[in-house]
Amino acid sequence: MSTPASTVDARSSLVDRLRTTLARRTEGRALALLALVSIVTVFTEPIVFTSYPVTLGRIALVGLVALGLTAVILMGELDLAIASTLAVAGVVMASFDNLAVGILVALIVGLVVGAVNAFFVVIVGINSFIATLGMLFFLRGVAFVLSGEEPVRLANRDAGIAFGRPLLGDLTPRMLIFILVFIALHVFVTRVKAGREFYAVGGNREAAYDAGIPVKRRVFTGFMISGFVAALAGVINTLERTAADPTAGSTVLLASFAAAIIGGVLLNGGRGSVFGTLLGAASLGILQVALTLSGVQVDVQNIVIGGVLLLAVITDPNSLRVVVGNLKAFLRDRSGAQPEG
Amino acid sequence: MTDDAVVEVPGGDTTEAASAAVADVERRATGALEWFASQGVFVFTALLVVLAAIFVDGFASLVNITDVFNRAAPIGIVAVGMTFVVISGNYLDLSVVAQVATAAVVFIAVSNASSIPVAMAVALLISLLFGLVNGAAVGVFKANAVIVTLSTTFIGLGLLRWLTGGSIYFGPQDGPIRAFGLAKLGPFPLSMLVLILVTLVLSWVLNRTNFGFMVKSFGSNRAATRLAGVNTAWVVIGAFTLSAIGAMIGGFVLAAFSNTAVSAMSTGFDFRALAAIIVGGTSVFGGRGSILRTLLGVVFVSVLTNIMVLSGLGFGLQQMAIGALIVAAVSVDALARKAAA
Repeated sequence: MSTPASTVDARSSLVDRLRTTLARRTEGRALALLALVSIVTVFTEPIVFTSYPVTLGRIALVGLVALGLTAVILMGELDLAIASTLAVAGVVMASFDNLAVGILVALIVGLVVGAVNAFFVVIVGINSFIATLGMLFFLRGVAFVLSGEEPVRLANRDAGIAFGRPLLGDLTPRMLIFILVFIALHVFVTRVKAGREFYAVGGNREAAYDAGIPVKRRVFTGFMISGFVAALAGVINTLERTAADPTAGSTVLLASFAAAIIGGVLLNGGRGSVFGTLLGAASLGILQVALTLSGVQVDVQNIVIGGVLLLAVITDPNSLRVVVGNLKAFLRDRSGAQPEG
Repeated sequence: MTDDAVVEVPGGDTTEAASAAVADVERRATGALEWFASQGVFVFTALLVVLAAIFVDGFASLVNITDVFNRAAPIGIVAVGMTFVVISGNYLDLSVVAQVATAAVVFIAVSNASSIPVAMAVALLISLLFGLVNGAAVGVFKANAVIVTLSTTFIGLGLLRWLTGGSIYFGPQDGPIRAFGLAKLGPFPLSMLVLILVTLVLSWVLNRTNFGFMVKSFGSNRAATRLAGVNTAWVVIGAFTLSAIGAMIGGFVLAAFSNTAVSAMSTGFDFRALAAIIVGGTSVFGGRGSILRTLLGVVFVSVLTNIMVLSGLGFGLQQMAIGALIVAAVSVDALARKAAA
């Protein structure tokens, strides 16, 4: 949708170009939150930045699932099943004695879950909220059944311990994987034709059909990316903890949606960027580490993150103008005559 | 908007080939699916009860029936309240988990410290606040209901755990709350009568009041409802407030049944209530549904859960079954709509 507009703009003046570029960017709120959180943290808990490997590790933990989720939200769909996909992948991986086989099967499980989600959304035609919500409950049950309702120990604990050590400079494998997934997804949705078409599918699905974009295949791809990345996160968690917890991932749902939505990825689809999600994840990660270091309880942290998510979802930049109009109408109707009854 | 596009397009290629010659057969198939989606719950509930009575040991005993009713009542009250949110086309209210637990804890804790009417008043204020926040975020700010209620769940549960420190509250052994929880009329616990009363009142609201018509109308066509002069923000706020009040009464009944209250006691209420609503035939596409049928859905889900418990199935398998039930019921609804289109 925005491609023809931008080619026209290319000929106009630099100021206009800058303005349209800024108007197209969606990362504004994420930048603002990141700046706010960083500045406050520098003064109150500077240790968050001096011991940056801890902070980076937390950002990778919060952000990885959010990156995969971004691919789905760009098309105007939601994937709530990610939380349970993560748990199932961990349990599946830990139940194999051979580490490599376990990881491989876990990742395949992620792809299959994504494909099943997409099947219900695309072929059956259920709304993705409800389809993936059903899958969220179903897969949670699967994780419980496979694990016998208790954490499964990893057979190869040495590999898990090695996985937690820095590999390249201060970076642990978890951070390296996070960075790789970020680069891969960023390149995919900005440089690869199939990825760029995600925006078209999310912006106007019917127009995308008419333009000859294989919409169904794109939605399948998106859900499989999200399922795969969630499974990857489950594998990483299991390696680092040397055990798979079937209840894992309940706060992942909140944190990853918060990261993507703060990052400016529009829930209706068509707008947003993987980079925005990175910024959102960074601000949430710094916030969480700062709160933990200040001795704030987990419950209060959940309140803060829930509040941030609520604020982010009601201050969606695209609908903010509509909101102001609605608010005016709302107040006007309230003082004026009510509809009969 | 996006789901319409998904539903519309695939209809073309599947029906075209089949329909041309045998239009009559196709219409009958469509009718069967539609009948299945809207009336199936009657047959299935009857079938389930009969089969359970014959094949499941201990199902048809008076003790067990009373137990089913006792467990069904709080979930049922939550479900009939939440039905308004689903009919208004806003998918669901995930925050009932937080609302039920808050109401239960406030009910026991405040009535211990003060008196029962004060406790009820405090709980009512809190539930009105929940309804207002959820409703305003969705109705005025046009935010996504799933994300909004996900964040209010975390805010609500976080506040509750923080303020109570996760402690368990016990009611007095000889108090009126305990007496209410134990009281029975034949096999029916008093909580069942509360459920029936709430169902009748809410059914009257949905079918006989202007507000009920507005909720249905808003669920089936938002734009038209707004153009008809209805203040849609209030309709959404009203739907979420009724859901919150249902959750509050559900919390009271739950607390009275066990005479204890703790922040973790309402786990799973969100998806059990949703399963009951959807199985009852209320469409997640909005606009269509009935409170009485939700009650039937509650019976179905409760009997199913009871059978699974009696057969010794674990929590994991129960969760898998309910998740699969949600997806299956919504699939039938979606396919019926697709075939009818």
